[in-house]
Amino acid sequence: MHDIKICHLYPELLNMYGDRGNIMALKKRAQWRNINVQVLTISLGDYFSPLDYDLVFMGGGQDYEQEIIQNDILDIKGDNIIKAIEDNKVFLCICGGYQLLGKYYKTWDEKQIEFLGALDLWTIGSEKRMIGNMIMECDFLPGENSGKQVVGFENHSGCTYLGPSVKPLGKVIKGYGNNGEDGYEGAIYKNVYCSYSHGSLLPKNPALTDHLLSLALKQKYGDFEGLDPLDDSIEYKAHDSVIKRVLRE
Amino acid sequence: MKIGLIFTLIISKLLTRLLRLINRGGTTLPGKIACKIYPEVTKILADRHTIIMITGTNGKTTTARIIGQILKENGIDYIENKSGANLLSGVTTTLIESVSVSGKSKSEIALLEIDEAAFKQVSSFIHPYLLVVTNFFRDQLDRYGELYTTVKGVASGILKNPQTRLVLNGDDSLCASLGVDCKNEILYYGIDRTALTSGENKINSDAAFCIFCKSKYTYTTHSYAHLGWYECNVCGYRHPGLQVSCSEIIELSNEYSFIKINIKDSDKNREKIYADASINLPGIYNIYNALAATACACIMNLPVSNSLKALSIFKCGFGRMETLYAEDIELKVILVKNPTGFNQVIDYLLTEPDKLICTFLINDNYADGTDISWLWDVEFEKLQSMGKKICKLYTSGTRAEDMAVRLKYAGMEKKSICMEKNYDKLLDKLVKENKEKIKVYLLPTYTSMMDLRKILASRFDLPDFWK
Repeated sequence: MHDIKICHLYPELLNMYGDRGNIMALKKRAQWRNINVQVLTISLGDYFSPLDYDLVFMGGGQDYEQEIIQNDILDIKGDNIIKAIEDNKVFLCICGGYQLLGKYYKTWDEKQIEFLGALDLWTIGSEKRMIGNMIMECDFLPGENSGKQVVGFENHSGCTYLGPSVKPLGKVIKGYGNNGEDGYEGAIYKNVYCSYSHGSLLPKNPALTDHLLSLALKQKYGDFEGLDPLDDSIEYKAHDSVIKRVLRE
Repeated sequence: MKIGLIFTLIISKLLTRLLRLINRGGTTLPGKIACKIYPEVTKILADRHTIIMITGTNGKTTTARIIGQILKENGIDYIENKSGANLLSGVTTTLIESVSVSGKSKSEIALLEIDEAAFKQVSSFIHPYLLVVTNFFRDQLDRYGELYTTVKGVASGILKNPQTRLVLNGDDSLCASLGVDCKNEILYYGIDRTALTSGENKINSDAAFCIFCKSKYTYTTHSYAHLGWYECNVCGYRHPGLQVSCSEIIELSNEYSFIKINIKDSDKNREKIYADASINLPGIYNIYNALAATACACIMNLPVSNSLKALSIFKCGFGRMETLYAEDIELKVILVKNPTGFNQVIDYLLTEPDKLICTFLINDNYADGTDISWLWDVEFEKLQSMGKKICKLYTSGTRAEDMAVRLKYAGMEKKSICMEKNYDKLLDKLVKENKEKIKVYLLPTYTSMMDLRKILASRFDLPDFWK
């Protein structure tokens, strides 16, 4: 029997827009396949040990909460988070968590806040909020057409730009994505997956959830062959209904 | 009176009648147009009333209606805005309706619930005699933005109204912070430490950290969400103490609550009392609403006995634990808007002794919040403990599919989850095919409640929403 250890970073602080639904999706979909799941929470003042987990999740928070964790993540956990990323650990980071992995955040009045610098990307604040349902296409997902499509809901004012070593998560079909300009959304670096999509991202996109679980299990078990299929009819009804609604807008 | 104002009043009154004639509520549009024609209309009409205002995230409508009941018990006439018409336009419509064309008002008192994000704007036009702030929770972030922005907005509105008497929820660190630097007269209400067992609450996502210095609060007791007795050990900000409190919870049933109420007002001229109170509404959150209304009556110097009577006979309406009957089947309608409110409803469902059918009607229109991610912050997992008592889970509304996914991941049995987006067919299933006459809970978001009411009204002869 396989085991997977999931680390939820700052769950009581980075908990906007139902981001915890991502943890539920990972956990349930592993359990439905008889994979043993442990979710461990790591927060302010806790030591983050890079070798202890197979998958790390970090959500987004309000500015107020992000200010609270700012020093903790940079001073106490930063080096080990970078170590884990370079060691090919699987990460999923949403919105604020995504921005925090980058180099810096520059506010609209030119104030620069230094971030972790784990990924070659940076964010510039804008006065416009990018809010709404979105659809993107992710090449790495199996299937045809809508099988590659990931649906979500974005709500951010930061515009993120990717450096050459980072690839986007997907191509925007509807919505703003990283910055509303270049037509791309999210970021991938090694096994780190980032997105602006709250909502939660994973429950309605079972293919993406399974992709992350598989990556984590392959890292851990050399002989891991893949996940058993599940009945995802309810999930795909929700997935497809968003696509139908959004394309009509 | 100025001719422009008379003209404005005539136009809006005609418009209201016209809208009702064609079966539209007409609860906001006339006021909106009146403000366009004559921008001072709200201020002029508000100045002719004594205003009692209720704002905050949850419990506005219920609190306003309990206050209304108390006023009735005291034989005091009042006007009120309809639930949902709680922005500037709705308030203006209400005021226009209550005055004659000459500008004379039917009642002196206006009981107005105001959207917490609209309060800042409204407070420039309307200077309330009394303001009740119920609580602050995260709510429809796509509309309201960050919670702290809403709190700051209300604070700045209060700053413009130093004469307004405040009734604040002392157990809510965000709400009580409004009283820290203001000169207004304040009564704090809440649940005493003696009424609750101590212990940390796991669900405290909105305000676990000090609003002033961002350090983690320590709590001696918790009632629900972030409400309780908090203290910041770093900057010293703490629970302010209570003048109107529940000092003992004797019984919490699924129909009512029985408590000891303690009124120890700082004002020597006011009545002090320690008495049994029966609140004719279930749930801890309604204890708070009842206390808020009682505190409001204290400030108005109304006899406490009348307040207690009002609490004991109060009946809710308009989707706040409203009970309707359709062909002998009991339908309970409870509006759901945000995670904290929904969690309270779930705690309430757990107290239900009988079998039930649960129907979730989730829309994502602007008034509901276009972002339905908050469903993932609701503890549907708790429903597992009800086991076979839950006969069926229906999901409906524009986001019926999302709700079904949520229930699946909450561990609900797949075959008990049924999606039905057509309200007529849904009601057939809930009423016509419900041979065992099992009690039905309808949990709609705002716009799905409006849609549902129309269909319920036409099929089962129930009153229209603006009546």
